[in-house]
Amino acid sequence: MRLPAPRFLPAINWQLVTPVVSGAVLAVALGELVCFVVAAIDGGGGTLAFGAPAAVLIPLSVAGLTLARRLRAAPIRARDGFLAVTLAWLVAAVAGAAPFLIEGTFDRVGDAFFESMSGLTTTGATLVPVLEREPDAILLWRSLSQWLGGVGIVVLVVAIAPATGLASQRVFYAELSGVTAERLTPRVASTAKIISTIYVTLTAAGIVAFWAAGMPVWDALNHGMTTIATGGFSTRTESLGAFDSLAIELVALVLMVLGGINFAFYWLVLRRRDRMWPQAAEVRAFLLIIVAVSAVLTVTLLASDAGLGFGESVRAATFTTVSFITTTGIVTDDFDVWHDFARLGLVCLMFIGACAGSTTGGMKVIRVMLLAKAAGQELQRQLQPKAVQVLRVPGRVYSEGVRRGVLAFFLVYLLVFAFSTLVMAAFGLDAVSATSAASSTLNVVGTGLGTVGPTESFASIPEAGRWYLSFLMLVGRLEVFTVLVLLTPAFWRRSVA
Amino acid sequence: MRAVKVIVIGSGDVGQHIARTLSAERHDVTVVDMDPARVESLQADLDALVVPGNGASPKVLRRLGVDETDLVCAVTDNDEANVIAAMAAHQLGAGTTVARVRDDDYFEGDASSGRDVLGIDFVIHPERATAADLAESILLPGSVHVEYFANGRLAITESVVDTRSTLLGRPLGERRIMRPNFIFGIIRDGRAIAAEPYHKVQAGDHVLAAAAREDIREVAAQIAGRTVRVREVMIFGAGRVGLPLARKLEKTDLRVSLMERDADRARYVAEHLHRATVLHEEGVSKEALLAHGVDKVGAFVACAGDDRANLLAALHAKQLGAGLNLAVVSREEFTPLVDALGVDAAFSPRLVTAEAILRTVRGANVAAIHLMLGGGEILEVEAEPDCSADGRTLEAAAAMVKARIVAIVRGDRVIMPLPDARVRAGDHVIVFNPRAGVADVKRGFHAA
Repeated sequence: MRLPAPRFLPAINWQLVTPVVSGAVLAVALGELVCFVVAAIDGGGGTLAFGAPAAVLIPLSVAGLTLARRLRAAPIRARDGFLAVTLAWLVAAVAGAAPFLIEGTFDRVGDAFFESMSGLTTTGATLVPVLEREPDAILLWRSLSQWLGGVGIVVLVVAIAPATGLASQRVFYAELSGVTAERLTPRVASTAKIISTIYVTLTAAGIVAFWAAGMPVWDALNHGMTTIATGGFSTRTESLGAFDSLAIELVALVLMVLGGINFAFYWLVLRRRDRMWPQAAEVRAFLLIIVAVSAVLTVTLLASDAGLGFGESVRAATFTTVSFITTTGIVTDDFDVWHDFARLGLVCLMFIGACAGSTTGGMKVIRVMLLAKAAGQELQRQLQPKAVQVLRVPGRVYSEGVRRGVLAFFLVYLLVFAFSTLVMAAFGLDAVSATSAASSTLNVVGTGLGTVGPTESFASIPEAGRWYLSFLMLVGRLEVFTVLVLLTPAFWRRSVA
Repeated sequence: MRAVKVIVIGSGDVGQHIARTLSAERHDVTVVDMDPARVESLQADLDALVVPGNGASPKVLRRLGVDETDLVCAVTDNDEANVIAAMAAHQLGAGTTVARVRDDDYFEGDASSGRDVLGIDFVIHPERATAADLAESILLPGSVHVEYFANGRLAITESVVDTRSTLLGRPLGERRIMRPNFIFGIIRDGRAIAAEPYHKVQAGDHVLAAAAREDIREVAAQIAGRTVRVREVMIFGAGRVGLPLARKLEKTDLRVSLMERDADRARYVAEHLHRATVLHEEGVSKEALLAHGVDKVGAFVACAGDDRANLLAALHAKQLGAGLNLAVVSREEFTPLVDALGVDAAFSPRLVTAEAILRTVRGANVAAIHLMLGGGEILEVEAEPDCSADGRTLEAAAAMVKARIVAIVRGDRVIMPLPDARVRAGDHVIVFNPRAGVADVKRGFHAA
């Protein structure tokens, strides 16, 4: 069987796109089915909101997967993966928005889409004013969407549905681009399985730890999923602050750090390979940054008139540092009232992000390490023009292609950020708010300064601005290039293979 | 002495040198080479059977009677051919197999491990061994070349006599300030001679001296008269010698820079080094050398693939004021130039290969051989029980083997040649032969 290729969308490789999109939708639909069951048992509402989409989407996606097997095999080109993955995320976000609209959580489509995208990309920015008023099923869906998006929808699809015969490596690398892609086994499907297994294990451990730290089971379940995904959705309006427990904060702290570490690193540690580098170098740098920034923030808090004691300062500084560098965005303290040095420092932290191959956003520590080295080498080159320079971290030498790639990534990332800040300013945000709104969504953090600060929400941004930010989250989650290549004219030209 | 049957595969510099040396020692040598023209010219030149053919081919090997051969040396320019030839010879029943391998890829760690994997008895890595020699020589102040014997217990240094040296002026015999008799040889105008008490050394002479490892620093410093520790090394040519040398040196606190003319090789080397600076520089011009600070370096090592370029670079470096000047010189015809150009010491991968092969030929009690560029050799021989030198004074033993006894290593102890010292069975005797000639050494230290 062969689908006729529509004239207006030339050269789409349906053989690749169909299974990936169907798989992503199935993952979302299955999540909604779980929520439907919870709603039905719990009786707190939402049965229809989840039952209806699940009833429609599950058969549809299964049909899509079945269909995909019978599609004519087409040669797979570099760009097919980008389109497939971006479409999968967009469709999944739409599918995930349905329950919010049906349940009536939001009146406007844009708000539902924002909330759904914020969940799937693990941004964690919410438009729901008071969470405690929402049905349990809706809260669970928010957490589940973050959990699904945390490790990457496509990774889950590749892990669960290799039988669809899709060219997994293309989509795998489109979702985890550049230096972040790490293949642990010869087959991408088994790599995805390993990553997913590690993810599920860490999640289960997190849920138990939260419960042991004194959280009610329901909250522990939700927070366990959103914290390991470094998303930041909560079941309480006041987020973790509602529990006011040091033990719970510590559990969250550890979970965020664990979620921020390269999943490949866990695998290498488990296998007791002596070749834990260069992942170990990145993890080491990640932890060092956390310690250093926490110390500086603590001093800043003590020196400023925040009125916090030493212990409180350490607690607030460390938690906020980890929350920002892992792009989780859980708020326990109102950092917007801190010294400007600290506030801007937190914005910079968002850009660093945690390790490559983790659930976090941002540029990733390894890229920052390579950027710093490349910058130092450029300075050195001024003195010794003939010196041959090699980009390396302990255990790995990177090619000149990687150097170019990292520099290009940095450039494009900053351009997107600058453009987005301008867009936000055009929507009427003040300078600080515009900057932090753009950085907070591009880096999938979900909280910022000013009008998008810890005590505010994105509700104050005009609707068109929220649509823009929804897409910005996706751009950030897929590490910029995957989405941006779709916007180039060359992508849509027939002749380019 | 029974003639050893040897097949030498490959008649390049190394193959020729081995064939010549072994043939001079009256062994039965067969040389196999693919190049008919070279075979023809060697047939007239060499007292050996020279045949055209592929030495890696079992057919050829069998025809040459490899199963009755004591030693097969595979020393072509091609690593793979050498490995295959040695493995085939081993399978066909050759006595000892030696293969020269230059690429690091065939090694795991140390050079001798080839045996387990490939079934070859000795894998020789001449470039790597040369690099090790160079590194040790650079790290010993006052020495231009140092070699270690008896598992590193005894060191022999070649040092250049400076104008500030305390040795200058009076005959060696009058010198009382130093350990007795540690100077055993002098190299003047590129020729080695045994040092006698009436010899006077001049500035610019190269002096050979032996000492226990822990004393060698002091000895070298006294001979040289200057003991500037090398802190910066510039390596010219990042080839098969340059890379391992830089690797060794960057593990110390020395600052290492490498110059390489090939861009891809420079990149490769930079990826495989950690601290060293790799410079991509096309020619051998003085300007380029100066731009990278050759006048400030404590040691300059020229080890590119081309002897001429090495000698030229070393000459430039010397004129520009580099401290120690070392060069790798592979081809025999260039060795006279080394001294004439004022290069402090030359190192030859060719000799390193020959040393390893000669050691296997000369019998189990020869523990080490060091061949000197100027023609002399230093041997480490284990005195067998009931050998004719057993129990004799060193003077008597030396007269018996017609060579200078440099030192004796007995267990962990280094014994310098004092008049009352005697040879005992089991001793490792270090012998200096200004001219090659091995039969006498055997007579002295082999069991009767």
